[in-house]
Amino acid sequence: MSYLLENVEARALELGATKVLSINLVMGDRSTVVDDSLLFYFDMLSPGTVVEGAKINVRRTPMRFHCAYCKDDYAPISENFDCPRCGNVGQVTDDGSELLIESIEIET
Amino acid sequence: MSVRTIQIVQNILAVNDEVAAQNRARFTAAGILAVNVIASPGAGKTSTIIKTMQALQGRARVGVIEGDIAGTIDTEKVLAAGARDAVQINTGGNCHLEAHMIERALDALDLHQLDIVFVENVGNLVCPTHWALGEQIKMCLSSAAEGHDKPIKYPEIFAASDVIVLNKMDLAEMVDFERDFFVKSVRALNPHAPLFEISCRTGAGVAAWAEWLYSQRSFRAPNRASHTALETVSRL
Repeated sequence: MSYLLENVEARALELGATKVLSINLVMGDRSTVVDDSLLFYFDMLSPGTVVEGAKINVRRTPMRFHCAYCKDDYAPISENFDCPRCGNVGQVTDDGSELLIESIEIET
Repeated sequence: MSVRTIQIVQNILAVNDEVAAQNRARFTAAGILAVNVIASPGAGKTSTIIKTMQALQGRARVGVIEGDIAGTIDTEKVLAAGARDAVQINTGGNCHLEAHMIERALDALDLHQLDIVFVENVGNLVCPTHWALGEQIKMCLSSAAEGHDKPIKYPEIFAASDVIVLNKMDLAEMVDFERDFFVKSVRALNPHAPLFEISCRTGAGVAAWAEWLYSQRSFRAPNRASHTALETVSRL
């Protein structure tokens, strides 16, 4: 969380921002970051900084697998990684690995 | 006063990754193979490091960076078992090691006296996965006693690792460990990483794993996790 704050704070100050209105993040399910803990730490660490009061928007991207038989991607069910259509096991794709600051909205 | 939206698209852990790259350069310059050992508490991280070190006795000089929330018990153990050098990092509550902690530990190690450095991460299968430390090999250690569903519950560490070691295989039958299910799940996440089955208690499989590791001393590929992040950024 402090990495996220420092990143945003540095960029905002560099751009001459007086206030950060929102922070838009992309968090893949594979990144295992939980929205609630993110918001909890944000509320704890942001007061007194230029990002205080900013709205955090999180876009989640799911983990997906590719089935070579169905030639299609699928989200796994919870018990295994098998393709829900044909029952064969696929290969994980890169989807859902993101851990990114996509954009920030600032007031100057 | 005006409101602007600024596109950033930056990996949140970019700062950590920069320090990790510097650590990797230091390991590489000293001719050291660095291994980031990631596992749950109780999987046998310290035992596996000790058994591997003993299997390579007289061939590889081993150093250990021990990451724990508190205490020095593991550092004492690896030194008593023959590690050439060891440094303890107490994270003081942090659930994972970060690259800047390794940077400080490197100052305390006599790098030119070592061939392999194991970094024993804090026992946790989630957070350590995302923090590159500067290792050349990210190692996921799992154990039969933890159950065959570990890859389903903690997919990212199995997907991101360069090698997977499965310990306590002497207990597999007693704990109803379904080996085929485990292997199938691992392969869905990571088709190429070598998978070694060992038992630190009986010593079974340790020699094959240690030989593979020894053969990787010329391995210089970049860390998979940072790689993925970079690819993600370039794709967006």
